[in-house]
Amino acid sequence: MEKWKFQGNQGLKSSAVSVRGVFNVLMQSISKEKEVVHLCRVDPTDNPLFSVDPVAAHAVSTAVHSGNFNCYPPTFGLPQARRAIGEYLSRDLPNKLSAEDIYVTDGATQAIDIILPVFATPGANIILPRPGYPQYETRAALCGLEVRHFDLLPNSSWEVDIDSLEALADDKTMAMVLISPSNPCGNVFTYQHLKRVAETARKLGMFVISDEVYAHIAFGCNPFVPMGVFSSIVPVITLGSISKRWIIPGWRFGWIATCDPHGIFQKTGIAANIESYMEITNDPPTFMQAAIPEILERTNDEFYSKNLDITREAANALYERFKEIPSLICPHKPDGAMAVMVQINLSQIEGIADDVDFCVKLAKEESLLILPGVIVGLKNWLRVSFGLERSAIEEGLNRLKAFCLRHAKMSQQISA
Amino acid sequence: MSMENGNGSMRRKKWNFLQGNKEVNNNNNGSSAISVRGVYSMMLSNINEEDERDVVRLCRADPTDFPCFRTTQDAPHAIAEAVESFRFNSYAPSGGLFQARRAVADLVSSDFPYKLSPENVFLTVGCTEAINIITTVLARPGANILLPRPGYPQYQARAAFCRLEVRYFDLLPDRGWELDLDSLEALADDNTVAMVLINPSNPCGNVFTYHHLKKVAETAKKLGIFIISDEVYAHLTFGSKPYVAMGAFASIVPIITLGSLSKRWVVPGWRLGWIVTCDPHGILQDIGIVTNIKTYLDITSNPPTFVQAAVPQILEKTKDDFYTKNLNIMKEAAEILYDRCKEIPCLTCPHKPEGTMTAMLKINFSKIEGIVDDVDFCVKLAKEESVVLLPGETVGLKNWIRITYVVDPSALKEGLSRIKSFSLRHAIQLP
Repeated sequence: MEKWKFQGNQGLKSSAVSVRGVFNVLMQSISKEKEVVHLCRVDPTDNPLFSVDPVAAHAVSTAVHSGNFNCYPPTFGLPQARRAIGEYLSRDLPNKLSAEDIYVTDGATQAIDIILPVFATPGANIILPRPGYPQYETRAALCGLEVRHFDLLPNSSWEVDIDSLEALADDKTMAMVLISPSNPCGNVFTYQHLKRVAETARKLGMFVISDEVYAHIAFGCNPFVPMGVFSSIVPVITLGSISKRWIIPGWRFGWIATCDPHGIFQKTGIAANIESYMEITNDPPTFMQAAIPEILERTNDEFYSKNLDITREAANALYERFKEIPSLICPHKPDGAMAVMVQINLSQIEGIADDVDFCVKLAKEESLLILPGVIVGLKNWLRVSFGLERSAIEEGLNRLKAFCLRHAKMSQQISA
Repeated sequence: MSMENGNGSMRRKKWNFLQGNKEVNNNNNGSSAISVRGVYSMMLSNINEEDERDVVRLCRADPTDFPCFRTTQDAPHAIAEAVESFRFNSYAPSGGLFQARRAVADLVSSDFPYKLSPENVFLTVGCTEAINIITTVLARPGANILLPRPGYPQYQARAAFCRLEVRYFDLLPDRGWELDLDSLEALADDNTVAMVLINPSNPCGNVFTYHHLKKVAETAKKLGIFIISDEVYAHLTFGSKPYVAMGAFASIVPIITLGSLSKRWVVPGWRLGWIVTCDPHGILQDIGIVTNIKTYLDITSNPPTFVQAAVPQILEKTKDDFYTKNLNIMKEAAEILYDRCKEIPCLTCPHKPEGTMTAMLKINFSKIEGIVDDVDFCVKLAKEESVVLLPGETVGLKNWIRITYVVDPSALKEGLSRIKSFSLRHAIQLP
């Protein structure tokens, strides 16, 4: 019997961390004694109260029935889809985007998969937020791009630690990533702060990749400001998708938008690199692309505001309930996106080693799923999703409170 | 590179990004990021706009331009039903929806001596993504993979991107495009991880016999490599040789089968494909390939959930007369191509196509003048006759042509007649 020579991609073995991967591990710990409550994944379809847009489904149906979109799609996307996305994004931008600024992708996941390799020259590095979204770290590892982390500051509404940015960047820093509104922190950055970030990036000679997958999911005092507003200060690559705002993550449709009025992406060759790589990557189905103009143009405001109200209510309920749990600290009331970061005060708990241990025991004892913060870069924190209906949140928090009481240090238990 | 800017008080710095990732760029050798659609676009740009005749496209294997090739009536209904149910708006599990995986498992193993389970199936965004995943999973420093020549350029484009070395074995035009097994054996070494076979063959248009495929399997086993069988053209055979799935030999050597809806159901734009591990001895599991595929699928994108949901209906409910009708049209077109090619002095078709949608034609430069190579031939043909072909260089055989014949028969005749005019116009003038 000959020996098999395969050993496998080592990069894959070490970069196996992903939100979905850890989710699987937790799922294996879960006890089925009670009905499972998921405060773990940010899949808005978990909330049956969210209305789904009939315009979107109808647009896809019409496109597929027409028989005109069974062909291979063009490399960067159907022209009508690119144009519609450009117009949609331009509603909030001073520098209008044209179809040529838009590249259609298979969800924002694929947008990340395309943009990071473009920057991966030997010795290059990229700066990511901590806490952040692990897809970036995983994809960077796979394409040999060095990663550095800047901090988001829990005591300053999760704003960017500008000093840490400046300390980290060097001549090989190609770009920084900002997730805005922020997953996992649940904050919406102010205009002034984003402008400062843009100016700092410019000073440091790096571009900004703005992951705006939660664009417009802002339900507090701060309005959503797209980073592209500052594209005359620093060129911005905006990533987006229809997943969250239209409650259809399973549709897998997103985009890369280059916001660059001074044409710097053309001059430095980034645009050419994106286009070259897209020749050999996948695409969303052609009929889906054909449906995009109608989805972006015809969805009415009531649909958006109704879902935003539901999200606001869920976030508020979650925040209020956290106040009742002394061993958990929520430093910032969420005002955007669909998750929030909560710190575990380990000095008030016993028998639990860290955040992973906390979540595994929680899954076992209470059939409640929460993501350990180490996955998103903050050990001994928790990422808690609020993309669920109010009753599920209340049930989840009841169980969380019971769990924390049960594991509280003796002195805490007596005073509780 | 320094930037001009209105705010003079800020310290100006040049942008750190200079050239970008070489593997991502087309390099001057053209060995990375070549794709059929890239070359197709380039050829189209050579069309003379003043030529009022319709463009005849014999370049891409996308028959959807023609009304005689339509998908089934039921397939769009299956998609529409799934999307309008609102039950498939969530993320799917990373390997794919269970019912879709089961349907693919049943389809692929229908003639096998063993049954595949849904766990052997992984859904991908078209066969393109299946290729992307499998090359990434195999890539490690120093490893190499064996590819057929001529073949399909996505393999080397993707391998270059993830730094997996490629080596080419030949398909032999004088032997019905069978594999040159001697060249295969000579190429393999301790770092060879796998070989790729495209079965039935794109671009050659031949169907491999059972006997030959068994020999290929035995050779692979001897070399300690497994086989990636790209069966995107599965069941699209209209000659005397029946389609034989490579997975039938999985007890000799592990087989990874790639496939999709694109060709057989005429929906390349739907982007739904699969990777299937045919491996009754569990070797791929033991050496870690299956784990790596799953890990990579966890971090890549997937086909839309509602498209996955429509798969069982498409695979199970399509009526036989749909398949038969398409095969008959393809057979007729293959006959037209083969017969008319005999009338074109500078082109030879060494093997009458038996399946898939393409064939390879050799250019006889001794019969023409003023044309340098296959690319020049195609560029001039596009300019002078508004006919688009694929230069053989794109698929690994310089000075050959790949022609797609699965088009409307009248368009095919028109195209071939214009190619004949072209060849006569460029014929060597006898003194």
